Parts: sequence; structure tokens; C-alpha cells
Amino acid sequence: MRVAIAEDSVLLRAGLERLLSEGGLEVVGSCETAEDLLLKVRSYAPDVAIVDIRLPPTHNDEGLRAALEIRAQHPSVGVLVLSQYVELGLAMKLLAESAEGAGYLLKDRISDVKDFIGAVRRVADGGSAIDPIIVSTLLSKRRSDDPLDELTPRERDVLELMAEGRSNQGIADRLVITLRSVEKYVSSIFGKLGLPSGGSESRRVLAVLLYLRS
Amino acid sequence: MPAAATLAVAAAAASIPLALAAGHADPVRVFLLEWVGVPYVLAGVIAWWCRPQSGLGPLMVAGGLASAFSGWQLAESAGAYTVGAAFDIVPAALFLHVCLAFPDGRLRSRFDRALVGVAYAAAIGLQVVKMTLGGVEPANLIEVSRQAAVVATVEDVQLLTLTAACLAGLVVLAWRRRLARPRRRSLALVVDSFALALVMVALLFMTATFGWPGFDEIQRVTLFVVGLSPIVFLLGLLDARLARSSIGDLVLQLRRDPAPPDLRDALAGALRDPSLDLAYWLPDFQTYVDLEGHPVQLRDDAERASTLIERDGQHVAALLHDRALADDRQLLDAAGAAAGMSLDNARLHADLRARVEELSGSRARVIEAGLKERQRLERNLHDGAQQRLIALSLRLSMLEKHLPPEREVRQELDAARGEIARSLEELRDVARGIHPAVLSGHGLEVAVESLAARAQLPVRLRLDVRGRLPERIEVAAYYVVSESLANVAKHAGAGEATVSLERSDGRLVVEVVDDGVGGADTERGSGMRGLADRVEAVGGRFRVWTPLGGGTRVQAEIPCV
Repeated sequence: MRVAIAEDSVLLRAGLERLLSEGGLEVVGSCETAEDLLLKVRSYAPDVAIVDIRLPPTHNDEGLRAALEIRAQHPSVGVLVLSQYVELGLAMKLLAESAEGAGYLLKDRISDVKDFIGAVRRVADGGSAIDPIIVSTLLSKRRSDDPLDELTPRERDVLELMAEGRSNQGIADRLVITLRSVEKYVSSIFGKLGLPSGGSESRRVLAVLLYLRS
Repeated sequence: MPAAATLAVAAAAASIPLALAAGHADPVRVFLLEWVGVPYVLAGVIAWWCRPQSGLGPLMVAGGLASAFSGWQLAESAGAYTVGAAFDIVPAALFLHVCLAFPDGRLRSRFDRALVGVAYAAAIGLQVVKMTLGGVEPANLIEVSRQAAVVATVEDVQLLTLTAACLAGLVVLAWRRRLARPRRRSLALVVDSFALALVMVALLFMTATFGWPGFDEIQRVTLFVVGLSPIVFLLGLLDARLARSSIGDLVLQLRRDPAPPDLRDALAGALRDPSLDLAYWLPDFQTYVDLEGHPVQLRDDAERASTLIERDGQHVAALLHDRALADDRQLLDAAGAAAGMSLDNARLHADLRARVEELSGSRARVIEAGLKERQRLERNLHDGAQQRLIALSLRLSMLEKHLPPEREVRQELDAARGEIARSLEELRDVARGIHPAVLSGHGLEVAVESLAARAQLPVRLRLDVRGRLPERIEVAAYYVVSESLANVAKHAGAGEATVSLERSDGRLVVEVVDDGVGGADTERGSGMRGLADRVEAVGGRFRVWTPLGGGTRVQAEIPCV
């Protein structure tokens, strides 16, 4: 699995390179500007690009723009955006039409090495990785007579992990339950929320996020 | 001066019987000579009396006298005839002088002076040469010989020189008028009548030189036209008198203590100069400003002039008026004196405006500087401490697989990483409080959506910003939303809130509405006051409606052109 990185902090870039290589991923390009990243994506066709949202020269939205461009120009390349702040508005901008092959994580997450490598692999495989902060923000306050109130605590846990982009197997591993019971929870959740069930695991991420955001 | 005036009038009058005594004189010609001479003298005397400091009065008197003396050539006495003949052409030169010296009696340029000098030399010098060579019929007292051929040449040179001088004078008048048409109609009329007369004089001399037909008729028309000028001039003086009487009306108008903008209109009406403007002197700023407090430059050039107004020895204001008004200093001073008290009021008004302007400018600068400083701090945190902590946490994680498998060691490591995670969270909150980086990076809509997501109650959003706005406006709008949502969560007891951002007609309208208890204390704490300051500093308006039991509506309108 091939990875390209754009990160302007030397310390973090080196850390990321090491972390990924030790995790069995091949870092085919590592740079500090959005422009260089686009070049590397064109030249090396990586499976996934990891990009810091704040990149030179202005440190405003260069990283996000590069991410959106890669998603538009190279649909086969997964994009994982890292940031020191996660904002719902940016997540929705990045996902736009679909959550397939897209990730948006707080930078802090890289220190949970195993989970982070898992997220990178998921995005590279066309799945999603949405930061738990975003999901919990969306779940934190609901209106009265909210269908979410009808979910059991276990179902809520499953919903959160689903919204983060985890696969059924991933959810089962996390909650230490069987794959069968995860599937049962998922269909029960979709039924209670009135969402059309079925569809791929990454397609349901956007559906759940949009539902929570509305 | 009265003696000189009396003498002039007497001399002009005396020329009438003198001319009429000559039985053969054409009465029409005598009338026309007096038609020129008497009004000139009268107009000159009146101008002299009204404006003693102006040279125009004496000059016109001289013109009238010269015209009267030239009539003496109709007399039969040899002495009077000789004087009359010597003055034959002089009125033309004096007339040119008057035209060019109008309205203040001074010749403005070296060219004007040269032109008038040449005209005098031709009118007096060459005339004397002609007379000594016997050029005029019948014989005069200073004739020494008769050289008809030479006289003819001298006369041609004399008349053509004067023709050229008149035409050049005409060009000067036209040029001046092109630069600045006098705004007072009476002045413009005088100049026009001068120009017409110059054309006629030039035509008359050319007719005489080249022997064109109709000399007598042209001479009559010319004299008639030349005589019109002083009459028009007298009408102009009358108009100025009337203007001065309008000062009385001005005083009455000002007694009603008009608002500062009406003061200008009143003065413009009294001075009959619609272009009039006022500038107020602000001693603290050492500058003149208009009523809005914007600096004004006083002009003194071909078109505009300024008159300073003082009160109790203090500079108060300046009248900015048409150049043509400048020669009526008495009128200007009278108007200034009449407006004194009202001008003082208006000046205070302008002073206030200038101070408000300065204050709001410096407030905007202070806020701008604060914003830049906060951005810098946030960047430093982001690039420094936050990155280092993340890298540190990563290093600890990488250590993990090299650690002995004892549970205590791993627990210690996890605890350390947990500490770092909490520090990062705190730092993130601090950084966001210093400056919302998402706002600079991604604009108002994204930032407000994040605010709504983080808010402690459900928030409906209606966002219609369409693109980015200047940063100070985005920041002001952002803080209105964030502070208001914080207030709603803390005090309103609301079930939900609605945030709307709407951009239309060059304004951004930010509204935060909740369904809470209302009756918010807008003075308590610095929250609302601080928001109002922020919004007003970017030229906006901040309002709060908070009826008891009826929820609270916070609205900021910010111009964003």
C-alpha cells in the first residue's frame, strides 16, 4: 500500500514517515506543500494521500483545497486530511457527495498508532475515517421527540462507530461482539431512524452524518 | 477725491457747450461723444467712491475725461482744438486699459502691461508726431511743417497698432473667460460689453486705415457700444449694492439659528455665489475641514478664492468662493461678520465630526492590530507547542513495542499519553479562544457551522454569505454568533436557537434568535457591550430585542462593500 504525505512540520513529517513504514505502508512521496503533493500524486499514483489542512504559504486552506482537488481529479486515491482542529463544516465540505475514500482526523490520533494505521488503510481501500469528535458533537444535543432517543445504549455505540467509518468487522472487534450481532444492531438502527438500509459500509457513513446534522 | 471728482464732472460737462458752440458740429456726433464721456466719468467716480482701494475708478474717470477732451476738436478756438486733436485717439487706449484692468484696476500680467503701453505710445506719441507734421486739418498750434505722405504712413501705423492691440485685448478677455467664467452675471455682462466694444473699435480703425465705406455709421455704432460699458458697469455696482443689502436679510435668517447645512445656503444666497462653500478652522488639528470633518484645502487661483473669517481675533472659518467675489471685500467681510455666531456653532459641529472620525479610525486600527496579534499568537501555538506535543505523543507510542511487557510500565505510558492528549485539548481551546483559525482558513459559513455544532443546544442555520468577506467583517460577525450562542446557553433557558447570516445590498445581516426567557440584561458584563463595540468599529449597527418571556433577538448589520 502506497502513501504520499504533505506536512509542513519537519518533526511530524518524520514521525509520520516512520510510523507508516513500521506499519507496513510504503511512503512514496513526502513533501511540505500542497503543490508538491499534487505533483507526487500525479507521478506516483499512491493509494492514499495524507495531507495537513494548514500548509504553506498562507496556512489557510491550501491543504483542504489540495484534498478536494485530489478527490476530484484522482477518484481512486484516498485522501486523509489531518488537522489540529476538526470542524463539522470542513468535514461536510470534504465529503460533499460521498464519504468513499475520504478521511478527516484530528492530528492527535496519530499517536494511537494501531488505530491510525487502520484508518489510513481503510481510506486507501475506499472506506472512510471520520474523527470521533465530529460524531460526538453531532450526537451531543438533540431536540426533544428525537428518534435517537429510542436507540438502546448499545445501538448508540454502534451508530457512533458506524459514523466514524468503521466496517462491521471493525465495530465487532471494537465492541467485542460478533459480526452477526453488529449486523443486527445496524439494521435495527436504520429501522428506528427511518433510513433506507443496505448500501456499502462507506456509503452509510454519509447517510448517518447527514441524518445527524439535519 | 471729491475735489477731483467734481473737477472731472465739471470738465466733462463743460465740453458740451464748448462742442455745441461750434456751429458746424454734427449734433449726433456731439451727443455720442458725451454718451461715452459722461457715463465713464460718472461710473468712474462712483466706483472710486465705493472702492477707494481699486484703481478702476480713477482709470474710468480718466477715460471719460479723455473722451470729453477729444470732443474739443469740434471747437473753433485754436487752443481748444489743439487739445481736442491731441486727445483724438487717447480714449481708445484708455478704453483698452480699462477692459484689461477690470475688475480690480490692476493689469495682471506683463503681457497686459506691454499691450496697454503700446496702445498709449501709438495713441499719444504717434498723434503728437502727426500733429507736428501737419497731419490734422485745420492747422493746429504745434504744427511745424506739412508732410502729407509721412503723416499718412504714420497714421496707418498708428491705427493698425491700435487695431492689433484691441484684438490682442479681445483674445486676453476670451482666454480669461475660458479659464473661469465669472459666476456673478453682472460681472460677466460687463466683460461681454467690453469685448463687443473692443471688436467695434478695431473695426472702426481698420475702416479708417483701409478706406472702407460706411466710416461714419461705424463710428456712431462704435461710440454707442463703447458708451454702453460704463452703464452695464453701473448696473453691476448696483447689483453689488443689492448684494450688500441682502446682508440684512442674512442677519435676519441667522437670527433663527439655522442648522449648519442651512448656514451655507444662506451665505450662498446673500453673496449670490451658488458655488460658495464653507471651511471651518480646527485649531487642535491645525487644518480646515468641511461640515463632515473631512480636511479641506483652501484655494487661491484663477477660479476660486478664499476669505478668512475671524471672531474675537480667532480663526473661525473660511469662505471658499468664486474669484469674482474677491474684489468685493467689504461684502465678504460683512457676510462673515453677520454669520459669526452661527459659524462658531457650525465649527463646533465640524470639530465634533472630525473627532468622531478620528476616534472611529483609531478604534478600527486598534481592533485591526488586536486581530493581527491574535492571529500571530494562534499561529505560534499551532506551529510550536501543539506540533511538539503531538510529535512527543507519537514518539511515546513508537516506544511502546520496545517496552518490557509489564503492565505497570504500559499503564505509565498510557497515562503519559493521556496527559498529553488533555494538554492538547486545552491548548486547542485556548488557541480557538485567541483566534478561530477555521475562520481565516475557510470563511464565515464553515466557521459558523462549526460554532453551531459545538453549541450546547440545537441550532438551526440559515447561511447565505456567498464567498469571503474582508477579515475584520468576518471576525466581527463570527464573534456576534459565538458570544450570542454562549449567552443563549448560559442565560436564556432556550430550547433551540436560530443563526442566520444574510448578505444583500452590500450588507451582512447577522441574527441570532432564541426561544428562551428573554429580558436579557444588555448592560451586565462586557459581553453585549463588547459585541456592540466590535460591530460599530467596522461601521455596523448592533441591536438587541429581548422582551420578557419573548426570547432574545440579537442583530448586527455590517456594511461590506
